[in-house]
Amino acid sequence: MKKLLAITACPTGIAHTFMAAEALDQAAKKKEVDMKVETQGSVGTENEITDAEVAEAHAIILAIDTNIDESRFAGKNIIRVAVGEAIKDAEGLIDRALAMEEKSSDDYVEQAEQRKKEKGAERQGFYKHLMNGVSFMIPIVVAGGILIALSFIFGIEAAEEEGSLAANLDQIGGAALGLMVPILAGYIAYSIADKPGLAPGLVGGMLAEQVEAGFLGGIIAGFLAGYLAKLVKDYVKLPKNLEGIKPVLVIPVLATLATGLLMIYVIGGPVSAIMGGLEDWLQSMTGANVVFLGLILGAMMAIDMGGPVNKTAYAFAVGLLGSEIYGPMAAVMAAGMTPPLGIWIATLIAKNKFSKEEQEAGKAASVLGISFITEGAIPFAAADPLRVIPALVAGSATAGTLSMLFSAELLAPHGGVFVLAIPNAVTNVFLYALAIAIGTIVTALLVVLLKRKSPQAKAAEATN
Amino acid sequence: MQLSEILQKDHVLLDINVDSLESCLDKLTETMVETGVVVDSDVYKQAVLKREQEGSTGIGFGVAIPHGKSSGVKEPGLAFARLSEEIDWNSLDGKPVTSVFLIAIPEEQAGNEHLQILSQLSRKLMHEDFRNKLQEATTSDELFEALEQ
Repeated sequence: MKKLLAITACPTGIAHTFMAAEALDQAAKKKEVDMKVETQGSVGTENEITDAEVAEAHAIILAIDTNIDESRFAGKNIIRVAVGEAIKDAEGLIDRALAMEEKSSDDYVEQAEQRKKEKGAERQGFYKHLMNGVSFMIPIVVAGGILIALSFIFGIEAAEEEGSLAANLDQIGGAALGLMVPILAGYIAYSIADKPGLAPGLVGGMLAEQVEAGFLGGIIAGFLAGYLAKLVKDYVKLPKNLEGIKPVLVIPVLATLATGLLMIYVIGGPVSAIMGGLEDWLQSMTGANVVFLGLILGAMMAIDMGGPVNKTAYAFAVGLLGSEIYGPMAAVMAAGMTPPLGIWIATLIAKNKFSKEEQEAGKAASVLGISFITEGAIPFAAADPLRVIPALVAGSATAGTLSMLFSAELLAPHGGVFVLAIPNAVTNVFLYALAIAIGTIVTALLVVLLKRKSPQAKAAEATN
Repeated sequence: MQLSEILQKDHVLLDINVDSLESCLDKLTETMVETGVVVDSDVYKQAVLKREQEGSTGIGFGVAIPHGKSSGVKEPGLAFARLSEEIDWNSLDGKPVTSVFLIAIPEEQAGNEHLQILSQLSRKLMHEDFRNKLQEATTSDELFEALEQ
């Protein structure tokens, strides 16, 4: 026997909703038709229709004068009429519904699957918030990184001459990269708590930058700020006449204060302890196996890209330049170039694992990579830290190890491929380039291997 | 909450004579003003007429159920009028009405019990034997009997 469903709803939801429901019930009883009627009145939804019932139903009668969510009936026979129509001629509606052609159940099943998938993508709130922050961060990283790279055109040391165009480019690029972590944190928080989340998020990100917690600290700041702002928004109740100051005064002040204190006391302390500990540890390794040192330094460069671990490794290598030890500097730079370069290659060979935006950002990452601007990989690492960071670390450790193994030495603390062209800046240039290339390939392959398909690629597959 | 708590005996007007929808509403509203259910009849009437403009509440079978949610209402109320002469209500079935239920709902309503009672009344109105009883009742007691069933 054909089963029918109906929903009734009217603007006030007091009378017609129920009269229509009763009329349909009576008509169904008279015609001995199996039918369930859901009412969406002012008391809420009653006699609610389940997805299982929708799947079984032959047709659904929507006797509604309001808008309701019809997506759950996609692929089903639907009759849409005014509430009055059901009151006037319920029997006629039932006849019409029964006379409709049987829809193949595949249509509905397919649509239901599709809906489930969309819901699944939405439900990953954590991922959604992260991606929101990353997507606002990408243009800043690209602009800042490329401008710094441009300054190298005037020579590796050109930016050190104050007032020169190269120095100004470097300053502009530096300003942009300085905004990177605050924007990441700010827009993660914005995604969680809307507008009230932005202020505590930006401030938390700035503090992450100041306590040298890097982009990982920024992610923490963003989530802290977002949920704290939401907490204040949802749970701090004010008298009605003071409700107006809540979004402009109460939420920003309370959430920013709480986020800030947490960043300084809970995040800042451990970060500086980690940096101090790592520094001592690296110092103690001066006499140890240099190839192992290359591996460690390389891995450290990629672990947090600009965070405490990376900064310690870089500062250690730069410090050794003063003692005329040039090997670690070469290892550090090679390891700092492979993350963006490896990402770039990965976006070329596995397009389906990256969003459109990421594919475009991948192109910029190539320029940042050759310029030793490791930050180019941050948007990708921030979007999917647990899969991307291990890949980057492995590739960078490879590059660092090989650089030491090939006894490459580097006399300048920056410059990327541009220093390779300078006579005597690098020893064993060709082997050094090989170390970077191999590290890049290792990074790219591991990123492709570990990363899952992007939601867009999945959605595209589902529709095919 | 019982239906009788909303539809007080003083709100029942049997076999009254009115010449239009508006004068019918006025008379019914008056009964609820007297019992204190409606505190501002002008504000309340506006809400009822506005609802009427959105779509007639004449549900057919000679019955209309005008209603309004308004700050002019103090507590939920229901008034009933049976008209001695039918009047036009732009009903769904095009026929004039003789039975009018006027519903009053406060703007800020804590519970929804009364809404449920009204939804039950709405359902009852779809039954022919219930409507017949409304027509046949000679006293308000008989009317209440029909409503409580």
